[in-house]
Amino acid sequence: MLYSVDTVLSFALLASLFALGSSRLPGLIKIVGFQGIVVSMVPIFIEHNITSSAVTFYMFTMTIRGIIIPLAIYLLIKKIAIRREVQPIIGYHASLFAGLMLIVASSIINHKLALPATTNSVLLMPTAITILVTGMFILMARRNAIAMVLGYLMMENGIYLVGTTFSMGTHHIVEFGILLDVLAGVMIMAIMLENMKQKFDDVDTAFLSELKE
Amino acid sequence: MSLFFISLLIIASGGVLSPFFKHNFTTMKFIAVSTMIVGSIGGIIDSGSKLMSQSATINSCDYTASLTYLKSFTLSFQLDSLSAFFLVIIFAISLMASFYSFHYMDKPERSLGTAVNYLFFSLLVASMCLVVTASNMIAFMISWEMMSLSSFFLVIYNYKSKENRRAGYLYFIFSHVGAMFILSAFGVLYALTGDFDLSHSFASAVSPISNALANLSENQKVLIFILAFIGFGSKAGIFPFHVWLPHAHPAASSHISAVMSGVMIKTGIYGIIRIYSLLNFSSPVMGANQLIIGNSQFIGHIVIVAGVISGILGVVYALGQNDMKRLLAYSSMENIGIILIALGIGMIGVSSGNTAMVIIGFSGGFLHILNHSIFKSLLFMGAGVVLHKTGSRSIDALGGLIKNMRITGTTFLIGSLAISGLPPFNGFVSEFFIYMGGFKGVGMTAITVNDASVAGFAVNQFAMSRLTFGTTAFGIVSLAVIGGLALACFTKVVGVVFQGEPRTRAAEGVNEKGVAMLVPMVVFALLCLAIGVFPELPVLMSMNAISSLNISNIGTESGGASVIEITTKMIGMAGTISGAALLFISMILSVLLLRNFAYKNKPVTTSGTWGCGFTKPTVKMQYTGTSYAASIVEFFRPFAPIHEDHSPVKGRMAGRSHYQSHVNDIAELYMDRVTLKPVLFLFDKLHWIQHGDIHLYIGYILLAIVVAMFFV
Repeated sequence: MLYSVDTVLSFALLASLFALGSSRLPGLIKIVGFQGIVVSMVPIFIEHNITSSAVTFYMFTMTIRGIIIPLAIYLLIKKIAIRREVQPIIGYHASLFAGLMLIVASSIINHKLALPATTNSVLLMPTAITILVTGMFILMARRNAIAMVLGYLMMENGIYLVGTTFSMGTHHIVEFGILLDVLAGVMIMAIMLENMKQKFDDVDTAFLSELKE
Repeated sequence: MSLFFISLLIIASGGVLSPFFKHNFTTMKFIAVSTMIVGSIGGIIDSGSKLMSQSATINSCDYTASLTYLKSFTLSFQLDSLSAFFLVIIFAISLMASFYSFHYMDKPERSLGTAVNYLFFSLLVASMCLVVTASNMIAFMISWEMMSLSSFFLVIYNYKSKENRRAGYLYFIFSHVGAMFILSAFGVLYALTGDFDLSHSFASAVSPISNALANLSENQKVLIFILAFIGFGSKAGIFPFHVWLPHAHPAASSHISAVMSGVMIKTGIYGIIRIYSLLNFSSPVMGANQLIIGNSQFIGHIVIVAGVISGILGVVYALGQNDMKRLLAYSSMENIGIILIALGIGMIGVSSGNTAMVIIGFSGGFLHILNHSIFKSLLFMGAGVVLHKTGSRSIDALGGLIKNMRITGTTFLIGSLAISGLPPFNGFVSEFFIYMGGFKGVGMTAITVNDASVAGFAVNQFAMSRLTFGTTAFGIVSLAVIGGLALACFTKVVGVVFQGEPRTRAAEGVNEKGVAMLVPMVVFALLCLAIGVFPELPVLMSMNAISSLNISNIGTESGGASVIEITTKMIGMAGTISGAALLFISMILSVLLLRNFAYKNKPVTTSGTWGCGFTKPTVKMQYTGTSYAASIVEFFRPFAPIHEDHSPVKGRMAGRSHYQSHVNDIAELYMDRVTLKPVLFLFDKLHWIQHGDIHLYIGYILLAIVVAMFFV
């Protein structure tokens, strides 16, 4: 059985696979932005009664997630002129393979977890988990700090999706709180990146281990 | 809004305002001190009238205030006579301490630091007041943490010295480990009763003890009590949780030490009493003449033993110290021990249905809380003046100070006499009552009710009364030992610091300027004498304080006297004491007059102390504090190992040599050896986990999540 929301979700899933395979920062930014837009559209397809305040909220989420944050990061890499390579620790093909395995694993977990079936969707929970873990994977497997920020954002997309499964309609306040957290997080990371660039003349996080006691 | 909260607001506002006036040092001090004084006077009027309007047998809570935050957190405060008793002490000591600080804090170059000191001082006072009035666990914990943190910042006032920072961290760790125990006690209580309320111990008539609390089993109650005892004990300075005490008190400025030692550590005692009365250990005794021997019977014994250990070791360590403020800190530990002995006697009275022991034990303990806060503040202030004028806390570097510091010396002497429990001063009165309570326990015979339905009842009863005899006799003997050692300890301080000849340049040519520092000491010294001579009012205060403990209605079986009878008896006893004290004073005065009369026309020559017959006396001929105390400390060597450091003398023409010794605290020693070293060793071995590579760290998180997802 196929629902309209599953079509949307499959885009998000594909985006995470693309992210694992992309080697250049601008492409990765575009993919994460695209995924942000898709993810913030998901509640519109799930929700049964859509109020005007809900729509405002979704639009707001979409703007921040899909436009403002990616744009900010894009401007940042323009400004501090860093290498465009994501500097992988785990190679692209291996990453893609890991991503596929992740999809399989999260489908299995989905059955085990027995989450509340609030929606008519097959893909919602597996997608959420996949995106979450993919984000974390990118955080772990890329040395470039900007790529790590993007991984963090992707992780947050996953958290947002998990949130939609739990809190249908009513708890915008919680999601909005998360969103503001992310915004603050990205700002802090931007400041850190600039400092790092000044200090090491690069954003390769391998340099950070020099700070160890 | 009641006067109490207005007073707290005034106190806090003064503290908050003071950093804004840092450019004008004197104005800033004036604002901080005056608001503190106004607020404290308001608080004393309020809580004092509450306390004195209380009748000894009827208890009532006076006012409540509650504040609900986010619909789920209710902070409520309630004042009963127990809180009022502590409030009177808190406000009185803070008033005097802030007055004292006006001249004590005299470094305009540290204006901001002083302002911050005042800020945390006012927060400390306000939070202590909230601690003793909090009537639910959340309000209590919040105020408790506020108190711990503000006092932590006061301890690290001289943060530039490494030693002080270390003292601060030690205090921080101990207060938070203690808070953890308190939280776990509260957690167990909440898990079993589903109730955050602490106010069931307030006013039995208004809110009867909830079923959940009454249904707690004996062992559950004992568990909660022991957890709370450890937690509060770490604040009060009960052995072996006292380790922070001798480090933190010398680090803080003297008026803060006075407040911390005089009042703040008593909030730990308050917590113990509050939890004790909340758990309502007296309930099993009340059932129709039938005494059930459960584990809760042993609580009183545990408390007495803890008190004896803290008391004796406290005073032994105090004897071994060379730092005046450290010595006073250890002496606080000793007095906490005395208070615990008193409370333990009261608790045994509760569990065995002996009303006389309950009333005399608890009120003796309360009286000692009041007395100790007075004379310990006095002594810390005296030590503060000495430190301020000579720049030294080291006992062996001082000497002969009373010649130039008459007021400080005299008041310090009075404080020392009072803390050693000598008549006609206040320490004698409270220790007298504690002895009385103890003797009631020794004289207690087995209750001869034989209930056939309980097998072995009479046998149990007999064993229990033997145990009670043993413990109370032990308590009394230890109290006597503590008193004797305390006398040795304080003769050492007074004799070496104030008598004799100056040992170093620092102790010469001192003066006593700063009237704000002298007034509080004189007031406290007069209070010591006044309570010692006319103890009726303080006795009444402490009797009223225990009326809200819910224990005054325990059984009057076993032929014991009723509450009112004992109360009147105690007041009568207080009258006898005052008569005896007056007689004593008049004897001393008449001897003095006689001496003056006899020496009227005879020439009296004066010369330097220890100057007897030597042609070239030197100050090094005097006894040092260490040598004076050595024989006693030597006796307690297994508990107070002496660490000596000196290079051996070689050959006929020996070169430079040195000698250094200090008494080790076994709690500190073993805490270091048994806990700290293994933990550090373990974490040292795990150091490889902290690799320094951020990707590895994220990998750890990922691994943890995967494991959690698949296996949990």
